[in-house]
Amino acid sequence: MKSGYKKVKRMTVTGRTIHWINAFSILAAVITGLYIAHPYYQTFIADPAVDKYVMAWNRWVHFICAIILDVTSIVIAYLYFFSRFEKPYKKLIPTGKNIKEFVEVLLNLLTLNRRKNFDSSHNDSFNIVYFTIMHLLLAWMLLTGLQLYVHGLESGLSSIGNWWPAMLHLVTDWTIPVTGGTLMDVRISHHYTMWWIVAWVMFHIYYQVWRTIYWQEGDMAIVFGGSKFKKEE
Amino acid sequence: MTDKREAVKKLFTAKSSRVETNKGDVYYQRLYAQCKKRIEALKTLEPFGNKLELQDLLSEEGVDRRDFMKWVSATTAMLMLPSFFEPLVAEAAEVMNRVPVIWIELQDCAGNSEAFIRSDGPKVDEIILEIISLEFQETLMAAAGHQAEAQLHDAVETFKGKYLLFVEGSIPTAMNGFYGTIGPSGETFEEHLTRLSKDAAAIVAVGSCATFGGVPAAAPNPTGAKGVMDIVKGKPIINIPACPANPANMVGVILHYVLTGQIPELDSLLRPKFAFGYRIHDNCERRAHFDAGEFVEEWGDEGAKNNFCLYKMGCKGPMTFNNCSIVRYNEGVNWPIGVGRGCIGCSEPDFWDKYAYERPMADANIKAPTGGVEKTVDEFGLGVLTATAVGIGIHAAASALAGKKSDEGEK
Ligand code: SF4
Ligand code: SF4
Repeated sequence: MKSGYKKVKRMTVTGRTIHWINAFSILAAVITGLYIAHPYYQTFIADPAVDKYVMAWNRWVHFICAIILDVTSIVIAYLYFFSRFEKPYKKLIPTGKNIKEFVEVLLNLLTLNRRKNFDSSHNDSFNIVYFTIMHLLLAWMLLTGLQLYVHGLESGLSSIGNWWPAMLHLVTDWTIPVTGGTLMDVRISHHYTMWWIVAWVMFHIYYQVWRTIYWQEGDMAIVFGGSKFKKEE
Repeated sequence: MTDKREAVKKLFTAKSSRVETNKGDVYYQRLYAQCKKRIEALKTLEPFGNKLELQDLLSEEGVDRRDFMKWVSATTAMLMLPSFFEPLVAEAAEVMNRVPVIWIELQDCAGNSEAFIRSDGPKVDEIILEIISLEFQETLMAAAGHQAEAQLHDAVETFKGKYLLFVEGSIPTAMNGFYGTIGPSGETFEEHLTRLSKDAAAIVAVGSCATFGGVPAAAPNPTGAKGVMDIVKGKPIINIPACPANPANMVGVILHYVLTGQIPELDSLLRPKFAFGYRIHDNCERRAHFDAGEFVEEWGDEGAKNNFCLYKMGCKGPMTFNNCSIVRYNEGVNWPIGVGRGCIGCSEPDFWDKYAYERPMADANIKAPTGGVEKTVDEFGLGVLTATAVGIGIHAAASALAGKKSDEGEK
């Protein structure tokens, strides 16, 4: 550790595990999702169909990632409110203090680190708002995705019981009228949202690298080791 | 505790689009008895206008008893009834002319009427549609003008509250409905429909136009076309969409009504579940090629010659509910995907605008949900990404130029 710096713990092991599971699941879901929407690599036409399940594998990976994201989302939703470490929701409440912090962090970014009037050692409300938007996008992906998926179980049966398709219908059928009235609208919305998520990820990576370079507090280390460094006063 | 568990169970097994193919012995025994009674009652009635006897007509058309029984068992299965219902279904087919049908045509191409009268050798479905007591059908009947009006009036008066009203075509609502008027009185389609549905036992909307507006309602929908269920309220409505509706499904609905006196179980879009409970894609003969990732890339290529999946040619089977992959058209001869053409989702709402484009979604010009400019989802997505990248680039360059330190320091 550089002298004059103190270590600040920012992410628990659980938090980091979830982060990387999410990152890889999203990556895999985007790659396979693009294939499902429009099979973009050619399979060898001369090959017989036996034993070759290109679409089936893509869908398998897509669904498994989705289910993993479902589970981590539930964990995140729980930690959001009940984490013993940091409760993100506290930074979301639009109190004067949080709004001021949000604006200051934004100004720090816009003024290219010309002003920095907030405590950068802890999670700030700008980051939390940003983080929340991502999880809302993910929740929307899960709901529309499950809606598209459940129609393959039209018999009302599934390998894990009849409750599963019934529950999916109950929880996701409303996405049809909300997106425009047909299954195709759900599909389009699911696809659109992917692009927003990819754009979000792009900015996220940039911003974390930017913070690391300009704040010089080792922010990048948070997601690997769980802590960053803060100059001693 | 058990109460709670029951409540939860009930909640999670709520009526959804689930298709229940087996409702248990008790249910079917009760239904059987009820149907039996109903058919006995219908038998005592004189046939209405149409005095043709089914058996005579069948032998006249060269359909023997064996063919008829084959049709009976297929239809029993289609209606999701156990096989011991077969004799009842056969009897019901014979008394179908005891239920009067009035068929009206509004803003459409008459494709659904064509669907059941056009075939080189009439099949059982079509013969049955001939025997039903069709009291009024503009396209098929000889009468015209005032004479036709009078015939319709008679039919409505005689069969008040008893007839099935079949509606083909959408209802124009723009310009006070004057895009479509009917008869010497200049009644608009909307008034016509409202008047006739008042005394109907149930309304059957046939084809995509009558159900969800279909092609006439496609953007920009100049006539303000709407489906029957947007106009008629407070009456049982059965939707049989598709372009054209499959005659097997029309017969199925009438037969179900004759047999049970009730309309069949419907999904949330009022389509009978026995016909629209299944997704094309799940019963498609090309499904193995879909899973294998083998697609037709171009009309007439190697893939097309080998019956590969049509997904990349724009097949919308994965989002379309209909039984054409099971029942097929023209008495099971073939269906769109069988002849090498993707499904265009004709049995779904807004099919023309939202399904009928000829490429997979990622490759098609779809109207952006915001309206206005036509662009694909992915072009738009790429735009979002580019904008993000440009923003990031500008910010990164500016940051690099401005140097690292914050000059205000932290407070
Ligand atoms: S042709 Fe269409 S319905 Fe058949 S498997 Fe391919 S995508 Fe599905
Ligand atoms: S395959 Fe699709 S487009 Fe063709 S009739 Fe069936 S639902 Fe309509």
